[in-house]
Amino acid sequence: MTSLARIWTIATNTTREAVRSKLLYVLLFFAVALILAGVFLSALSYVESERILQDVGLGAIRLFGVAIAIFVGVNLIYKEVDRRTVYTILSKPLSRTEFLLGKYVGLVLTIWMQMAIMITAFVGVSLATGAPLTPAHAAAFLLTGVELALVVALATFFSAFTTPMLASFFSGGIWFVGHLTRDLRDIGGGSDLESVRRFTALLHRVLPDLESFNLGIEAAHGLPVAAADVWLPLLYGAGYVAILLVGAATLFERRDFR
Amino acid sequence: MRLDSSEIVRVAKVVKDFRPGFGLRRKRVLHGISFSVREGEIFGFVGPNGAGKTTTLKVLMGLIRASGGEASVLGCDVRETQFRRHVGFLPENPYFYDFLTGREILSFYAKLSGVARTQRMDRVATLLDWVGLSAAADARLRTYSKGMLQRVGIAQALVHDPRVVFLDEPMSGLDPIGRKEIRDLILRLRTEGKTVFMNTHILSDVEMVCDRVAIIVDGRITYEGATEDFLEGDAREADVVVAGLPPETGARIEEEFGAALRGHADRIEMRVAEKRLKEVLRTTLEAGAEVISVTPHRVSLESIFLSAVEKGRVEDAGR
Repeated sequence: MTSLARIWTIATNTTREAVRSKLLYVLLFFAVALILAGVFLSALSYVESERILQDVGLGAIRLFGVAIAIFVGVNLIYKEVDRRTVYTILSKPLSRTEFLLGKYVGLVLTIWMQMAIMITAFVGVSLATGAPLTPAHAAAFLLTGVELALVVALATFFSAFTTPMLASFFSGGIWFVGHLTRDLRDIGGGSDLESVRRFTALLHRVLPDLESFNLGIEAAHGLPVAAADVWLPLLYGAGYVAILLVGAATLFERRDFR
Repeated sequence: MRLDSSEIVRVAKVVKDFRPGFGLRRKRVLHGISFSVREGEIFGFVGPNGAGKTTTLKVLMGLIRASGGEASVLGCDVRETQFRRHVGFLPENPYFYDFLTGREILSFYAKLSGVARTQRMDRVATLLDWVGLSAAADARLRTYSKGMLQRVGIAQALVHDPRVVFLDEPMSGLDPIGRKEIRDLILRLRTEGKTVFMNTHILSDVEMVCDRVAIIVDGRITYEGATEDFLEGDAREADVVVAGLPPETGARIEEEFGAALRGHADRIEMRVAEKRLKEVLRTTLEAGAEVISVTPHRVSLESIFLSAVEKGRVEDAGR
């Protein structure tokens, strides 16, 4: 059995767990409900009702996706160690890194499947109300998927060595700040103080620039999206995920399961 | 590490230190332990709670990294992973994914262990039958009792037909019938040529199934050898009842022959190792005392175990 096959076995089992979890269906129900509620919210506005409808829908997909990514991600490794299921699994011919990667891939696949359901609801509502669907929407969905994969990697990284509570706090905090680092850099760049300029620039370099994955405005307004605005964030996201997973695997390899 | 071809498990001077908490001093839980397990034997690893049994097993399974020394299974360093294709492991009080059924979980473990797709379902069905779970095979594990989960644990340890099986307290949580079934299963593994390493503190099971034992006390091995030799050595004792034994002779017998004396001058009971019996009787008779009775007595493994634990702790205190 190859390394990839072992990772895939863990991944499919992780997905199966999610598919059999009632809690994720509840979250998914609320996400779809919010997307549908966009119809009523947009009806309250005289102008740009289609834009409001799509803003609400895209926002719901991102927010619920992040909530699921953090909520499930922080428990991903912790639960396995806490419930000692990891003992029997790691006694099989499987490395700890393969196990961790399998869990990660499984959760990302789960979140992408849930995203697909939310996107279906979004497309259905847009078609029903006559709101336009452009290539920018496809790009926005793609980059949201990458952002969620990055958030899962963050949660997995923290889950590899700390409690779910702290991991949620760190992952949620970084996600929140990650959407502000670009603004902070720009604001700091206008400062007279060299130290402020350096600090905000460093913050932008070290923390993930999650706004680079946000094409919500382009999609909702039907604005054109340059190819570089898609593939650069794709590469950036993949690189960031790789760094986080290498870090998580390094920490996980050194752990003692007492 | 030099490996005798018949040695399946080899532990050489393994040390393990744990840090109880951030900033606290390291605590040594394994003090350079060494032992080996030979091919085809059932090896009992015995010790009181907290002695280091599970820590040792986790080192062998790669779940804990040793701080020093060397440990190998099937000639491979325990930090490697591929040799585990030939190793089965049952942890103490095992936990499994409770969203899966008995059949699904065994299939999952079989797949991870590299069992070919064509053989997987047959092998799973055979194991379910062996551990008596065929009827519950398609029920989710969250509906299983503790005893049933223990059987799933045994089945997952054997699903890939391993050469060596590590069992951590395999009888834990089982009723007498369940314990007998697991005992029979372990004996069956021996007839199939498997090597079994068993952590336990149920000494009657050790006596019944183990070919060799090692006793661990406070992270140190105090005995390693054949179960029979263990029982043949200091294990045979005799109860001697004497009358009119002078107190100074009684004290001498206690000190020189390690006999335990009870009672008073008119009637004293002594428990003496059988190999020292002649000397004790000679000393008693020479002191003018009368021997009333001599009753051979076979010591249980439990009392040997307790004295080994006591001895280990005394030696530990002397260090």
